[in-house]
Amino acid sequence: MSKVLRLIVPVFVLALCFKVDAQVLNDLGSVEMDERELYTMTKQMGQFINRFNYEEDQYGKKLNPNDPSFRNPNKRKDVLPLLFDLENPRTAGALRDFFVEDLIKNNQYMEFLGGNWYSEVSAKFKWKGQMVDISMILMLEKEGLGSKWVLSNVFFSEFQKYFPQGEMAEREKHFLHPMSHELDFMNIYKVFNDPQTIEYYASTDYQPDYLALFFYEIKQGNLKFDHVESVKFHIFQIKNWYFEVSWFNRSGYNAGWLISNLIYLKDEEKAALLKLYQPKQ
Amino acid sequence: MKKVLFAIAFAFFALTGYQALAQEPELSPERKQAIDSLALEKVRDLSKYVKLIGSKNTPWSEANRVIDRAEELFAPDAEIGVSSLAKTKIEYYKVRQYLERLMRLNYDRVEIDWYKIQYVSDLQRQPDGTYVGVITIFQTFKGYDAEGRLIYQDTTKKDITVYVKRKETQIGGRLIGFWDVLLGDMRVKETTKK
Repeated sequence: MSKVLRLIVPVFVLALCFKVDAQVLNDLGSVEMDERELYTMTKQMGQFINRFNYEEDQYGKKLNPNDPSFRNPNKRKDVLPLLFDLENPRTAGALRDFFVEDLIKNNQYMEFLGGNWYSEVSAKFKWKGQMVDISMILMLEKEGLGSKWVLSNVFFSEFQKYFPQGEMAEREKHFLHPMSHELDFMNIYKVFNDPQTIEYYASTDYQPDYLALFFYEIKQGNLKFDHVESVKFHIFQIKNWYFEVSWFNRSGYNAGWLISNLIYLKDEEKAALLKLYQPKQ
Repeated sequence: MKKVLFAIAFAFFALTGYQALAQEPELSPERKQAIDSLALEKVRDLSKYVKLIGSKNTPWSEANRVIDRAEELFAPDAEIGVSSLAKTKIEYYKVRQYLERLMRLNYDRVEIDWYKIQYVSDLQRQPDGTYVGVITIFQTFKGYDAEGRLIYQDTTKKDITVYVKRKETQIGGRLIGFWDVLLGDMRVKETTKK
């Protein structure tokens, strides 16, 4: 029962929060119906950021930075919990409350051009005659007078298969001894004996460049884009937190771009994860 | 020598022109609001045109003229990407192709209405300095058969790209600056269906 109440109360508050008199905004259309669902929906990722920072009011009107309501912590505290998927216990419980408290206490905001946030575009491609799933990671990069989205990495299980982690004991068996140069590298043929272990002969720091493989396969004509399946965002901007934002196409007062996953993640631990999204930093 | 002078002059003008663009101050909130209104005006025009094109009361020749007007609102390479609840794969159409399909829909009567709500994104600059934004609007569509029965109904979310560029024109020998607004790609996503 308490769980149900916990779910209903914020939604009700949200509906009140966004209650709009149809006469107030009489701009584009003529449809006379309850538009509260459309107002509460977080319609664009940009709106998610504006709501997250409380930089727009409940009608979607941008607040001037000089306006006392701009980034107002009390108003922000009311709106933030509503930016979560309330149907998922992972994003509607105590962890969410800790996150909101942390954001307010430490004045943490999202920045469009602040880096450390990525878009994951899951798409279907045709690869060697069969349909496959590939996730493309994109990030915003400043260029010229503005910015643009650029590919920063790609996840494709077939590429990952080429570079298994491998047992340390096995890896340690494969090397070219330090005096090989004196023998004109006559032993270098060993590198090519088993293609499965070739990368063990690279530097310990070596990381496969999946994006290069992706481009290569496209250029070779082996990989052909078909269509986009879904889009979501991974946000690492907030100190000690990571969260995901996904699109929820549903009716009710909890729809649009919402937080679909939240993890408390120390900044030290973030570095390893960030390498997956942006290998070259 | 002439060639060298020309090259130097060209480089100078190109550079100063670029600097002028680069030094263009960030838009003030008031200026942004004015530009938002300009962009909304274009979207409003589009909504009027779509209603006329879809209406079975609009004569064919008139609908074609309206399609021409609607097409002028868009950048030449703009595309419409459509998906439905049943089919999430995006189908791509050229603006004219999309509007002509709307004109030829097989219903006896069509009602197209727009919700009052609209959402205008912040404007961001792309590498060439052009501002780009997205306006989100919602549309209801109802299709009726000859007996007046409602046979299809849906609500779609339309995310429309808006390009805003500072341009100059000569009026009476004087250079006058203005903001040119052009619509770009439009993403049409079905949200509810009956």
